Amino acid sequence: MLFNTTQFFVFLTIVLAVFYTAPRFLRRIILLVASYVFYLSWNYKFVVLLLGLTVVDYGAAIAIENAAAARKKPFLLISLAANLGMLGFFKYYNFFVDNLAQLLRLPPHTWALSIVLPLGISFHTFQSISYVVDVYRGEQKAIRNPIDYALFISFFPQLVAGPIVRAREFFGDLDAWRHPTQEEVLRGVLLVVLGLTKKMAFADQFAPLADSYFQNLAAHPGGFAAWSGVLAFAMQIFFDFSGYTDMAIGMALLLGFHFPVNFRRPYLAFSITDFWHRWHMSLSRWLRDYLYIPLGGNRGGRWKTYRNLMLTMLLGGLWHGASWNFVVWGGYHGALLSIERMMGRREFEKVPPAWFYPVRALITFGLVCVGWVFFRAATFADSRYVIGQLFHGGRQMEALLPRWLVYMTGVSLVIAIIEEKFDWTEKLSRGPAWAYAAFTILLLLTVELIGVTEKALPFVYFQF
Amino acid sequence: MRAFYTLLLTVFGFWAVEYAIFHTDAYYTILRHDSSTGSVETYVRNELKRGRTNPHQVLTIGDSRMGFLPRYANELAPGTGYQFASIALGGATPRDWYYMLRGADPQANKYSAVVIAMEDYEDSEIEEDLSVRAADLYYLIGRLQYVDLPYFAGSYRHDRALEWAAARGIVLKGLVYKRDFQEFLLHPVERVKLAEQARRDSFFWYYNYVGPNQSMEGVQVDFVNRTVTVPPGFTEAQKAAYTFRFLAPHPPDHGVHSEYLHQWLGKIYEHYHGSKTRMVFLHLPRGPFVRPDQPAVNPHSSVRELAQKPGVLLLPEHLFDLLERPSLFVDQMHLNGPGCAEFSRMLAREVARELDAL
Repeated sequence: MLFNTTQFFVFLTIVLAVFYTAPRFLRRIILLVASYVFYLSWNYKFVVLLLGLTVVDYGAAIAIENAAAARKKPFLLISLAANLGMLGFFKYYNFFVDNLAQLLRLPPHTWALSIVLPLGISFHTFQSISYVVDVYRGEQKAIRNPIDYALFISFFPQLVAGPIVRAREFFGDLDAWRHPTQEEVLRGVLLVVLGLTKKMAFADQFAPLADSYFQNLAAHPGGFAAWSGVLAFAMQIFFDFSGYTDMAIGMALLLGFHFPVNFRRPYLAFSITDFWHRWHMSLSRWLRDYLYIPLGGNRGGRWKTYRNLMLTMLLGGLWHGASWNFVVWGGYHGALLSIERMMGRREFEKVPPAWFYPVRALITFGLVCVGWVFFRAATFADSRYVIGQLFHGGRQMEALLPRWLVYMTGVSLVIAIIEEKFDWTEKLSRGPAWAYAAFTILLLLTVELIGVTEKALPFVYFQF
Repeated sequence: MRAFYTLLLTVFGFWAVEYAIFHTDAYYTILRHDSSTGSVETYVRNELKRGRTNPHQVLTIGDSRMGFLPRYANELAPGTGYQFASIALGGATPRDWYYMLRGADPQANKYSAVVIAMEDYEDSEIEEDLSVRAADLYYLIGRLQYVDLPYFAGSYRHDRALEWAAARGIVLKGLVYKRDFQEFLLHPVERVKLAEQARRDSFFWYYNYVGPNQSMEGVQVDFVNRTVTVPPGFTEAQKAAYTFRFLAPHPPDHGVHSEYLHQWLGKIYEHYHGSKTRMVFLHLPRGPFVRPDQPAVNPHSSVRELAQKPGVLLLPEHLFDLLERPSLFVDQMHLNGPGCAEFSRMLAREVARELDAL
């Protein structure tokens, strides 16, 4: 049940109707049932896995809280082993054994298994880990009500692709649940429509071009073609993922939950450091709090800081997918972050003067686009080929990007700049009704007239 | 309540904007005239505003095989006493014909006769199941109204996805117009000019069309040895098309096309039932070569059953046999310019004769 389908909107309408008409004591159960129905609609077999991990982490957290200080660690390790073990098996087993076989000069799939990746496993395991670690650190009370905890892990708006929500944020909302305010309802609806627009009218327009380029590189030689393909993918992945996140945040808001912002116009970033403050912010925050800082953060001197940055980003890359391409992508960003640190952290966190901002933003966007090559290409060899084409693609002038998509890129840039300056989507829900209505109508017309409605294309991040 | 009223305003506003653009004449002012939707709209609207010099009007309809050119028929007007017009359109199907006729003659009172071109009178099965033809939604979107939703969408009942697409398309017409709209955004100025020119001049473009001059002369079909021979200058693709048309086995008859024709020709009959307008069916010339395996007479075919009803006429099915010559066809199915001219004159005379005989 994709978010961009009629089926899902029927489901959401029913959930909202049942949720708000039911007595208050039943509402958590309704959300839990809805979340499991949502998950079952994808693949009923993996419900057992979701349920199993929920039970393990629920029990581990209570055990940690109940145990004496010296005896807490084994329970933490059990939880980590269960989560990372499942994630490792489903996501990385084949990657590991294939590489091992290659190392031992055996046929590549000697020990490979036919494994289907359970939907959302990367997200719900990270959420579970953060909860158990927070309990271990004493920053979060163990949740005693199993329904509450199961809901935290399976809450359908963010189950599949985030944003990664911290336990204290979620339970803060759950325990002190209140009806969304008028503004929140309006903002929630607006975010759902905005997300749908990003996905269907923008991401899905760029997707065919990115796919046609990366799926048949030999057919599109030359630097212009390469830049077209990479730009198309850059646009696709941003609109796809941020569209999904907007919808998730909007739906949660309609149900009385407040999710963290996940994207803040990342392609307007003026440095890679700034980029990671704007892109998939809930993951960046998770990596910072549960990986970078435990590794020592920037407390051990310059070289340890660089090492920690590299390790964090390498693992962050690997989290996205089991392939060397993702490792290289993470490493590439880790290296860029380290370089920026070397050149002076403040320089890359401080907003440059207005006249210089566009240059910095363009350079940053270019660097990010180069990174997307590793993210999108099917193999490392393909990545190398595309990188070669980007910079030494010869004189072939075939630019794949049709005029239509060039316009859409331009429109996106203008909207992003206006939003960056005035934050008007935030203000709309507080503003006059006519302004809200006019903007939402414009979005709906955009979905209707520009959106890809013939076929519901899956979200890119669902594969992770 | 603020949120409720704001959302209500949004929903109502969206509906109002959508309605204003796509359910009124507004979008027609920028619609590409030669798209499927644009062609239907142009033909129907031209017909609505056409000058009428004679109280006895005859309207013809059909698909691309209907090589009727009104200018030739109207040259005979002093003799026939009828003024002819055509809204026959390439790719249009009986489902489209119904909505086009309804658009051109909403009160069913403008014509002495509507003449409908049929491939044959036997409801022979064809390769495509027209009941699930997605293109019809695109042909007709400009004609369809909210009240058409149950019947039109329901006519796709054999394909749930298409049925849903049709229902959704009628409510949110922009979903169907989107390709045209996106093209408009790319070249807005040129489009507006072209649309304006088409509104002004397209009637004459179509009325003065005389058809192509090429012919099939030199092409030979040997039905015994099952071979097609083409003279130099013809392509392999043309030869393959001729071979398919003349030698490929007929699709097995499952009654699908017959059911479809019963539905939509019946719908046209319902529209004109009780009016002074006659429904006249004609059997199109079969082609430059006539297959020996012609369909058997089907007394329960849609047109033969309709012909039993008052106000419905069937022109003699072999009326145009003498046009079935390679010199009068541009390809395996379509009459060329001279063929169209001859066909138009013959049809005009025959229709006038039949109507006068009533």
